[in-house]
Amino acid sequence: MKKLLSILVVLSLLLTALPAFADVIADVEAGQAMTHDELVAKALAESGTFIVYGNTSRIATAAEEFAALYNINTEANNLKDQEIYTKLRNESGSTAADMVMIQDGAQLTDAIAEGLVINFVPASVKDVLDPADQQPALVHQYINKLFIYNNLGDSVPAIRNVWELTDPAMKGSIIFKNPESEKVNMNFLVMCTKDEWAAKLAEAYKAWKGEDIDLGSYANAGYKWIAEFLDNCTFGKSDTTIAEEISQDTATGKIGLFVLSKLRSSSVLTDNLTVAQYDASASGYAVEPFAGFMYPMYTMVNAKASRPYTGMLFIEYLMTQDGFKPWGKSIGAYSPDPSITVNEGDLTIDVWKNTLVMEDAGYILDSFEVEDFILQHCQN
Amino acid sequence: MEQAGIRKVQMRRLQGRVHAWFSKPANVILLIFLAALTVLTLYPLLSLLTETFTVHTGREARAAGVSAGSLSLYHFRRLFLTRENDYSYIQFYTPFLNTLIVSVSSSVIAILFGGVVAFLVTRTNLKYKKFISGVFTFPYIMPSWTLALFWETFFKNVQIGLKTSNGIMASVFGIYMPEWFVYGAFPIALVLGLHYAPFAYILIGGILRNMDANLEEAATILKTSRPRIIWKITLPIVKPAMLSTFLLVFASSMSAYSVPVFLGSPVRYYVLSTKMKSLMDSYPGQAYIIVGVMILFGVAILLLNQKVTNSRKQFTTVTGKSGQISKINLGRANRPVAILLVIILLMVAVIPLITFALESVIVKAGDYTLGNMTLDFWIGTGLDKRLDQGDSTGILLNPKVWNALGYSLGLAATCAVVAGTCGILVGYGVAKRRGSRLASWVNSLSFFPYLMPSLAFGAIYLAMSSKVTWLRGFLLLALVGSVKYLPFASRSGVNAMLQLSGEIEEAALITGVPWWKRMLRVIFPIQKSSFLSGYLLPMVSCMRELSLFVLLVPTSNTILTTMLMQYSEKGWAQFGNAINLLIILVVLLVNFIVNKLTGASIDKGVGG
Repeated sequence: MKKLLSILVVLSLLLTALPAFADVIADVEAGQAMTHDELVAKALAESGTFIVYGNTSRIATAAEEFAALYNINTEANNLKDQEIYTKLRNESGSTAADMVMIQDGAQLTDAIAEGLVINFVPASVKDVLDPADQQPALVHQYINKLFIYNNLGDSVPAIRNVWELTDPAMKGSIIFKNPESEKVNMNFLVMCTKDEWAAKLAEAYKAWKGEDIDLGSYANAGYKWIAEFLDNCTFGKSDTTIAEEISQDTATGKIGLFVLSKLRSSSVLTDNLTVAQYDASASGYAVEPFAGFMYPMYTMVNAKASRPYTGMLFIEYLMTQDGFKPWGKSIGAYSPDPSITVNEGDLTIDVWKNTLVMEDAGYILDSFEVEDFILQHCQN
Repeated sequence: MEQAGIRKVQMRRLQGRVHAWFSKPANVILLIFLAALTVLTLYPLLSLLTETFTVHTGREARAAGVSAGSLSLYHFRRLFLTRENDYSYIQFYTPFLNTLIVSVSSSVIAILFGGVVAFLVTRTNLKYKKFISGVFTFPYIMPSWTLALFWETFFKNVQIGLKTSNGIMASVFGIYMPEWFVYGAFPIALVLGLHYAPFAYILIGGILRNMDANLEEAATILKTSRPRIIWKITLPIVKPAMLSTFLLVFASSMSAYSVPVFLGSPVRYYVLSTKMKSLMDSYPGQAYIIVGVMILFGVAILLLNQKVTNSRKQFTTVTGKSGQISKINLGRANRPVAILLVIILLMVAVIPLITFALESVIVKAGDYTLGNMTLDFWIGTGLDKRLDQGDSTGILLNPKVWNALGYSLGLAATCAVVAGTCGILVGYGVAKRRGSRLASWVNSLSFFPYLMPSLAFGAIYLAMSSKVTWLRGFLLLALVGSVKYLPFASRSGVNAMLQLSGEIEEAALITGVPWWKRMLRVIFPIQKSSFLSGYLLPMVSCMRELSLFVLLVPTSNTILTTMLMQYSEKGWAQFGNAINLLIILVVLLVNFIVNKLTGASIDKGVGG
């Protein structure tokens, strides 16, 4: 009985004991001032497998090349953004990630405030990148989701104005990933309600209908567009599935809002697809008021990292031309580093920044009630 | 002086009683399991309860307008009482209603399909019985999403859902099924019903096989019509098993996640489990309340189940067993009925496998011509450069896949050994101390993990592991798996032990054989196949488990199911289909080998 009691006491102590973490903040501060060689020396002195979480599949290729370059045992995991945040909150020790590559600026802002992740800007890019791409989190790349349509048949939805997507005739012709299942999609819709974009949407409405917008019960044009757009949408499982499905010969009249890079996939019939903005740029018009949206993918050191210097070295590597190669080899990923140019046939990051809705973490964080409105229209 | 003597005697008596109590292995076993299960099942429950009152960081704290970590009733008000934007209606009441519809319907389908087939196999001279009986448990052995995926692939068409491509039914046969048939409540209930129909087949079949034929024979002599015999005699006898199946399938369907996602999301049909998952991302407090609601339903089901089990026992005792069971002659209907059943089973259990094989070799989706086929996704190399998607090699040449397969098998074997052995011990303790409060507690606690949705169970253990530094990796997965599958093993163990008469062990006890030897040399050999079935069920369940492990795996390449999920998420359909097929074949192979070597089978595990 005594033994049983002592086992129970030990068990309960273990359950409440908090693990102790190394002072990663101090390490990152030290790392910011280090040269490449110093960082390499520190990283090589760390033991165990270097673990990376990323919500881009190409992190695996980058990690493989990094591992071969420095002879560091590396394990890359492609997880959904939410899984990464959950794991950051709950994991620790040698099996936890050392470094993460993650999207959703709003949630990342919370994660930074919570002390879950630490920003590391390698000395090599400090003077190269726009300060906005360095703080509060280092942007590794921008990713765009664009209006892309099936170009077969007589009813090609070659839109020139996003209000065309709210036409009742378009019901069931638009495919989008459920904003509930991917936060960047939710963030995009929330951004449409910001004054700046709501005003642009109101202007676009006038250009489309030839009359001022009648808001009815909607707070601004953004809300009206969201409601009518979502009511016409069908939700696809993943951006790859959406790209595959819209590219089918049988998918005439269909349009989607998905990641441009999916056009690289061998299972997508790329010839059957047209990117609305490519067509607009080639023909000299603009999709009013936006042709999709763009969001950053960030790199951060886990505050509970067991191998922080390897994490920093990997971030430094990812910001180089070689480190960007897994993404840069095809369209749809844009480095904030001006010296890393886009692929042939793609448009430059500056063009995209002017034609797409960009994430504003501050506005999104303050607009959680807009999410309720969006959820309502995702359900009905 | 005298009083001191009395006290001394009383003390000695107490010591003697305590010693006698502890000298019985059943008591010690029950006590240990009571302590362990309290920590492993009640602790998560308490954590869950705390989480429903705790305001979490991020969106939740901002929305609640209070600091993170504070206690509040905010989540309850928000989930149940928010009218603005129809919030409560969207996040709780509609999914709740949908859950009830789907769970009740799937239970009815499982009972009807499983029960009718059980009746035909046990009580008639149906043809192809061996095939039907052998293949009937396939849908349960296969992951539930298998059938959901197949359903969508087979029946989708350009008039419904995404309205972009035709599945096999439309492209080959030119038949366009309506939306309600392919997406929403009907297919979700049907797929879950078919997946869990083996429960009904095993439970109802078990009673039909052993029921006293004299009752029916007496009615026949009295010239009662066959339908009346079935209605008045057979049905009342199997009623407890039908109710038992209803409750088991209801609880399982309620927490099912993959099937509603595949077949509900395209038409915006949400159930509690899908809402729980999306809320867990931003508003965990509300997600945990949904888990709580599911558990409340589960507890009600557990109580009903116990009531049903009690009445079932009475039935079994009253009727006893008879070696003579009269078989109904199906006459001319025999062959058509048998062929219909074979076709249904082929559709449910065999054609999905063929579809997955086909989908794993085509390059462009929807094009089934030979020119579009390749084995690259199985044995190709340099794929990342040629196809620009997925891995660089086919799955059979990919060390990651082999490592994941090894890990999955190791994990499944560990969970099976731990859960299976604990199940036997719980069975022994509960059977020996039958009727005692301690036995009843342990019995209920060991069934409790069945009622917890896997996803929530995993999330709670992840939170627990953040406070226990050594609880990581394989150990964490093995612990969670063993606890979650304990209900299967303990159910099997209790049933097997209850069948054993006390005198079997007593003979060995009199000759002074120690307890562990009695277990190993006497009890285990007698009920070997039932016990081994108690090991097999956790093994099979663990091999195809996703929701339970998704948050706990060190990496998404750790086990095959999370690897499959990752490929599906990315839309690498061919790799996904190939891995899916690999999982199913491995599970079937394990089941087959264990069955051939030991005689254990899934049906014995579930049915006792």
